[in-house]
Amino acid sequence: MTRLILSTSNIMNGGSIIRKPGAASNLEFTNSLRSNFLAAQQDYSPPLSATKENGNHSDIEKPSSVRPPSSVWTSRQGSDYYIPTIDWSLSGLSEEPSQYDVTVKLFYLPGADVKDRGQYAKDAIQLVFKELCVQSIDLLIVSFPGMSFEGDCEWVADKKNSSQGNDDEEVASWPVLEELYNQGVVKKLGLAEFGSEKLSKFLSRVKVRPKVDQVNVKDCCNVPPPLSKLAKVEKIELLVHNDCTDILPSGTLRELLGQGVKGAGVLSESKRSLDGMKGDLTPKWVVKYTAVVRDRGVIENKGYFAVAELKE
Amino acid sequence: MGLLALGTPLDWPEAQKNANHVREWGIKQLLNIWNKAKGKEKDALLWGDEIEYLVVNYEKDKPEVTLSLRQADILHALAQDENLCSSGGCVPALQDIGGSTLPIFHPEFGRYMLEATPGKPWGIGFKDLLDVEPNMRLRRKIAKEHMNPEEFPITLTTYPRLGSPGQFTTPYYPPCGEKLRSQFVPDEIANPHIRFPTLAANIRSRRGRKVQINVPIFKDKNTPWPWKDPTVKYDLHKYKEDDDVRNGASPDNFIHMDAMAFGMGSCCLQITFQAKNINEGRRMYDQLSPLGPILVALTAATPIYKGFLADTDVRWNQIGAAVDDRTPEELGEKPLEHSRWRIPKSRYATNSTYISDDPRLRKEYMDQNLVIDPDVKQQLMDAGMDSLLATHFAHLFIRDPIVIFAEDLQELDLSKTDHFENLQSTNWQHIRFKPPPASNDIGWRVEFRPMEIQITDFENAAFSVFMVLITRAILSFDLNFYIPISKTDENMSTAHKLDAVLEEKFYFRKNPFPTRSPRPYSSNGACSGTASPAILSRPPTPSGPVEDEYALMGIDEIMNGSKGDSTNNFPGLIPLVESYLDSMNVDVETRCELAAYITLIRKRADGTLWTAAKWIRHFVQGHEEYKGDSVVGEKINHDLIGAVIAIENGGRQGVRDVEQFLGPAVKPCGD
Repeated sequence: MTRLILSTSNIMNGGSIIRKPGAASNLEFTNSLRSNFLAAQQDYSPPLSATKENGNHSDIEKPSSVRPPSSVWTSRQGSDYYIPTIDWSLSGLSEEPSQYDVTVKLFYLPGADVKDRGQYAKDAIQLVFKELCVQSIDLLIVSFPGMSFEGDCEWVADKKNSSQGNDDEEVASWPVLEELYNQGVVKKLGLAEFGSEKLSKFLSRVKVRPKVDQVNVKDCCNVPPPLSKLAKVEKIELLVHNDCTDILPSGTLRELLGQGVKGAGVLSESKRSLDGMKGDLTPKWVVKYTAVVRDRGVIENKGYFAVAELKE
Repeated sequence: MGLLALGTPLDWPEAQKNANHVREWGIKQLLNIWNKAKGKEKDALLWGDEIEYLVVNYEKDKPEVTLSLRQADILHALAQDENLCSSGGCVPALQDIGGSTLPIFHPEFGRYMLEATPGKPWGIGFKDLLDVEPNMRLRRKIAKEHMNPEEFPITLTTYPRLGSPGQFTTPYYPPCGEKLRSQFVPDEIANPHIRFPTLAANIRSRRGRKVQINVPIFKDKNTPWPWKDPTVKYDLHKYKEDDDVRNGASPDNFIHMDAMAFGMGSCCLQITFQAKNINEGRRMYDQLSPLGPILVALTAATPIYKGFLADTDVRWNQIGAAVDDRTPEELGEKPLEHSRWRIPKSRYATNSTYISDDPRLRKEYMDQNLVIDPDVKQQLMDAGMDSLLATHFAHLFIRDPIVIFAEDLQELDLSKTDHFENLQSTNWQHIRFKPPPASNDIGWRVEFRPMEIQITDFENAAFSVFMVLITRAILSFDLNFYIPISKTDENMSTAHKLDAVLEEKFYFRKNPFPTRSPRPYSSNGACSGTASPAILSRPPTPSGPVEDEYALMGIDEIMNGSKGDSTNNFPGLIPLVESYLDSMNVDVETRCELAAYITLIRKRADGTLWTAAKWIRHFVQGHEEYKGDSVVGEKINHDLIGAVIAIENGGRQGVRDVEQFLGPAVKPCGD
């Protein structure tokens, strides 16, 4: 079994982050993964003569025929496979960690085992710590699979939300996060996409309460009234976000890593192919991290890691 | 305006004799600040807005509307208000940032003007952004409470009938005073503090004639053509400057004005940002520069001068002309004999320098006609300043100081910045790079100066907050808006045209994103501590023709992004701001308020909503008394002022076209 570790590096200095108007999506994530793959292929290839691109995004159109072998730009460490290779010497923030607000959002994906969530959280945080060279996180938000706010009006959305997800599994996933909190590794915990009913049940069953509920409502001015009331009473901050919950479906992951024009060429399309790994691929989790210089409101570093398991 | 020091001002020939003296000391003071503060680091983002008001006397049933000249009395009333003072509000001697929370009121050039700033600077906390609009309302309310019942603070850029025949001030004073020598406005129009009349008089003396502000008249269906400004008097013989109009100062088809008050008596919306350090300040200065003309066109609010509809929508050039102290030699009208050089721009103009040490700054972007004082530059460089920044200050120091107080020439005080500020604060460029003051802990700052004041506090808050957010997006995404400075000059001139926001195109950079920094070819290691990864490898220096980097775009494309039919693929300033917000932890309530601001700006840019200039124009042209002859008579003026007061005082229903101007009465995202 191989653990694939996908990364975007810092996405603040490329154009892929700019959203087109519209609903929540995973485009920021998938586009920045793709452009980081291409960038790494370019950077780690033996220097080509005079054809250096000049700072635009036509990289994306680079034909797959000139793709360098994956051994050049990816790396293995034991059973871990880094796509692309991560040069940890480039890690870190420009000022001392105390100057930053570090927010981390962990997406548990639908195909992953609930019993492994504790380990996933620890793994995710370790990667973020290594990338940012920090020792603690200001806010850790967890996103559980199957949750959303959808419906013709905010009341319906809140109602629908109450039957989504899996209350028992969500509660069972919490103690490991409480432990991180108690150790001081995480200063604040948060949830994503919890409607009023789920949130109030959740609060009654956990020791360390979440301080944040991150919601993606169609119009930020129309928060379901029961939710805003509950949040006020329970002193939970309702934050806005624009991510979709199922941020890395396995089809998307296969396409990202596959042999297609937009793929990275790491994974075989067919069972017989020789130009890549093959096997059953299961995305487990994705983590998004953001480091903001606190009193200047400047985002210095933002990126994603994703982990998937390949059964060869 | 600058600092209001007291003393004995020198009249022009005397002041000019001491100009070098002031410049020399100014440079010494600058070097002193620079040496002290060049390593200043990690300053927080603090920012402040300045709102300027006209004070009018208005009564619904009284046909006359006038400007109130009671600025001093109103400021006195504010200063005497003990509640205000004990909370640190009142009226400060200096404009330093204090620790108070109540607003601070300041005098301005016009004796009918007031300026108000928040009592303490804003931060970047999103809650602070929500406090801006209520604080602006509070300022207006407090100002109103210290006025007579018929006096109102309004935020129009210019008073529509300033300088019209008849009475437009209370009390009335006749024109043709000794200081301004204007045939349209009295000396009493200016703040009586000696600095202001001296400023006006010395600009006129240095120039050798009165200032000339000529604005094209709007040609309506009944406007006589050629149009000769009917208010100009050709038979005055009191001052030598009365000859100006006989020598062609007032050409056909232009509204003619002849005094500083027609420009410096305008109200603006200015925002000042504190940078993290000098380098960030220099970067913001450069990146905000190309945005200037765009925001001017978007905030256009000045369609009337001296009682006539103008063929322009904004105030900028008029202020430039109103303080243009250049001699005929400097203007290029005569061969150089006494003046040191020809100078292409007024002291009040678009800025002429880029100053960042950004590797993306190409020499092709620089002003090819930049005038500098080489001796000043050498002196600054000898003291260790780099060439770019030395060039900037050597450009500002080509000007003469206008107002010099005899007392200040006795002894050089390096703990002050008065001589430096004398030049710095009378270079009224659209972006100002501000070194830290001598006496406190304030950092390097950049002032964004071009926006027109808006009629409502909702709009003023919207544009202020938008500018704050765009600076954060610039720094976070490392955006690059560089275009040649000459294109920004052209854009500013384009921004004046009627309804430029919808009708005109502006030069703008197509791809604002940074070039990705390549990874080192091979390396392996662990956390490198606090070394800045961004500095480890710099993107390659750009090449390729500069002309390929920018294109002509409408304001809608610049603000909202390129549409399918455009080849520019520009992301749009508003989507950039929204992407920034998407990456920040913003609570739902704040995001809702910010959405209302962003919606206003988006709709102004795409034409769904009208600029104030368009709304005022429609108001005049749709008025029953309007005769289609470009004349904005007293009755029209009365009703316009009444509508402006009503809109900001909860009486917007019934005001004509108010929905086209401001949108539905409920905030847009409540729909």
